[in-house]
Amino acid sequence: MSRRLTLALVLVATPAFADAITPPTTNPVAPPDLSDQAIGVELGAATGGRVTAGGLRVEGHYLYQLSARDWFDGTADFTFGGNSPGCFRDRSNAFICDHGLASGDAFEIVAAVRHFFVGDGQFWPFVRGGVGLRFVRFGDDSVTGVAIPLHLGGGVRVSITPAVAITVQGELELGIGDFSHTLGAEPQLGIAITAGVEFRL
Amino acid sequence: MRFVFVMGLMAACQSSDVSREVGARCDTNADCDQKCEVPSANWPDGFCTELCDTDANCPEGTVCIDEDGGICAFTCAADPDCTFLGAYSCKQRDSHGGGAKVNACRGD
Repeated sequence: MSRRLTLALVLVATPAFADAITPPTTNPVAPPDLSDQAIGVELGAATGGRVTAGGLRVEGHYLYQLSARDWFDGTADFTFGGNSPGCFRDRSNAFICDHGLASGDAFEIVAAVRHFFVGDGQFWPFVRGGVGLRFVRFGDDSVTGVAIPLHLGGGVRVSITPAVAITVQGELELGIGDFSHTLGAEPQLGIAITAGVEFRL
Repeated sequence: MRFVFVMGLMAACQSSDVSREVGARCDTNADCDQKCEVPSANWPDGFCTELCDTDANCPEGTVCIDEDGGICAFTCAADPDCTFLGAYSCKQRDSHGGGAKVNACRGD
């Protein structure tokens, strides 16, 4: 091997090796342990009322990195509430539903974006916004509906190990739906608080 | 966006004067939390109510009258207080458990 070729190889290899062993000099703008994809599961509670289902909330998340601070957050969630009847006919014969905070069942798919703010060590706060497609059912009243709620909230991601993190978040869910049984268009309004674990892929 | 939010909030906070407990229209007990006074001249369009021993067993704004073993009915001072129910008017009835007379919204 010629001396010139050896020199060229050293010049090429040295910066790459230096990058591998030298920590980045700039502060990270998102959790450094969060890769471009992750999955998560969360458990919590959602408040309902009228024709918004509320109760136990179970969520599954799929995260995909969009930019330095933003991840797509695709969510599928179930809400399990009580099933006592809450609908009646008022004096003008209009059908009205007045369910409590934890009543009805729902399944929803949400497309959201999670934006991280600069964190401190393990703790990374974020905001989250998105839109969902929700199927709602109040069994004892034979009422079903399809709704499109907006999701606005935030939380914090706490890195536990390089591959595992805990998340805690809360959000406001506001939208409108179309319901059976002559109800027609009805609002969706609720709050959800969940906590869970995330795994990098 | 703000308009949609405010409209949604207003709609979500709407409430009715009546409920499945007391006052909703009904044909059977299944339409109510507890008991339906089926449609009749006494209870036009039907009337959801609850069984009671005293006024303390009834929701706010209702009294326990001495009918069907004691049921809750909206209290009133004059006929206009009962118009929200439809063809109802303010009638004097025996109080259940109290031994006095009370005014309650009723049909005939």
